[in-house]
Amino acid sequence: MKQHNKLNRTTIIIFLILMVFPIQMMAQGSTGGGHSIMGSLGKFWATTGFANFHYKSLIMIIIGVVFIVLGIVKKWEPLLLVPIGFGMIVGNIPFTEGYEVGIYEEGSVFNILYGGVRMGWYPPLIFLGIGAMTDFSSLISNPKLMLLGASAQVGIFITFIGAYALGFTPEESGAIGIIGGADGPTAIFLTSKLAPHLIGAIAITAYSYMALVPLIQPPIMRLLIPKKERLIRMKAPRQVSKAEKIIFPIVGLILTTFIVPSALPLLGMLFFGNLLKESGVTERLADTARNALMNVVTILLGFTVGASTQAVRMIEDPITGELVNKGFLTDYSLKIFILGAVSFAIATASGVLFARLMNLFLKGDNKINPLIGSAGVSAVPAAARVSQEQGLKADKGNHLLMHAMAPNVSGVIGSAVAAGILLSMLT
Amino acid sequence: MIILNATMEWGDILIASLTSVLIVFSSLAVLSLAFKLTGNLSVKSSKKRIEKRVDIPNDAIAPSDIPASEIAAIAMALHLFLDDVHDKESNVITIKRIERRYSPWNSKIYGLTNLNR
Repeated sequence: MKQHNKLNRTTIIIFLILMVFPIQMMAQGSTGGGHSIMGSLGKFWATTGFANFHYKSLIMIIIGVVFIVLGIVKKWEPLLLVPIGFGMIVGNIPFTEGYEVGIYEEGSVFNILYGGVRMGWYPPLIFLGIGAMTDFSSLISNPKLMLLGASAQVGIFITFIGAYALGFTPEESGAIGIIGGADGPTAIFLTSKLAPHLIGAIAITAYSYMALVPLIQPPIMRLLIPKKERLIRMKAPRQVSKAEKIIFPIVGLILTTFIVPSALPLLGMLFFGNLLKESGVTERLADTARNALMNVVTILLGFTVGASTQAVRMIEDPITGELVNKGFLTDYSLKIFILGAVSFAIATASGVLFARLMNLFLKGDNKINPLIGSAGVSAVPAAARVSQEQGLKADKGNHLLMHAMAPNVSGVIGSAVAAGILLSMLT
Repeated sequence: MIILNATMEWGDILIASLTSVLIVFSSLAVLSLAFKLTGNLSVKSSKKRIEKRVDIPNDAIAPSDIPASEIAAIAMALHLFLDDVHDKESNVITIKRIERRYSPWNSKIYGLTNLNR
């Protein structure tokens, strides 16, 4: 007991000494010493997130939390929304520049990881993985469905015109238009080449709407397709031989990239991944491409895209010399978000309407259920799943998933081709 | 191909958009035609193969007296064997004696309160 009291006394004495020293030092500081505890604390305070706080950062943090909640609770594209949402929180923690912390600070860890987005390395790697996991059999067995994938790309070009009308430059308009392709990697790839300053806004818009495909598409589909046509039963796709599956990536690559060579980074990797899958002799490589590599790139891409949405980024205007906010939360981002929604809606509508148009020329059991037209946007496989669900709502025995996968995967090819065209026209 | 730049006008934008839509359609239409063709060739060749098989007497293709359940069992066994579904065990059960070296750090004597009563 005595020992215990002794120990307590010693602790109190040490504590008092520690308290007295700073007071002495502060006194020295106030008489012109220069270094005081208060001064250090003041400096430290200036570097904290509280001192650099801006309400726009808080808004972005809240949006990041909403993304995470949607991913976890609603299970809307969790593989995208969770990394992006967390990235948004990380990217919007206020800080003082100069410590190589921020994603836009040259040499910082996040800046290096962001290089894959900025320079467009990640999208082709994602395409390699998509190629290695996609089964093109439904498309090969019914090649006319490729036209649905092409028709849904109309949304890209109408939005391109719309963005130009709203005052964006042709390059920015092209990058905004590609949101209608419903393909995140393609949107990032094209934006990194045409309008790198819009990457954050465009990528977030593209991925947000891709996650919202189950909400955006059904009303448009129901509006444009009469009940009678929703009941159309399509004939089962024929069995595709192994040789056809192997020929597809080789012939597909040659034909499409000879027409649009600028789409080579995307289409080259897509068809390469598919050849790895279908050849049957490179299973290990295909497995790495569709699992390990794809997962690594998805993590890096999602996180860095999220972190790039820094709400406040004060940059000196080269002409006026004033500090201007070039961060994420500007009226430009809002316009991009609205244009993205329009783009998705037009893409869905044009796919559905083109399917109905095709039906005018098709007879008997060759007719297409227009519900699969909406799958022409390349959000794989979310858009095909929507077609399946809508098909089942109209007729409980009508399974459209296999058929819808054909326009869905051709939409991936179509959006890459469209990106290549915009790239060659606008650079 | 039309190359657009900052000085472009509305007419250029509209023509470029229209041209782009046509290019997307034509490239996928070419691909579609190519695979329509390869599909037709493939269907024809598989039909020929089936016709050739028809010429071979049924007895030569598969013995007909094997019941379906046996075929299923053989298929399952082949699947398990080829896909290595079962893990291999040694079937030897042993109890390994582990002798620890003496160390005061794990000695119970030092861990217990020695109460002298």
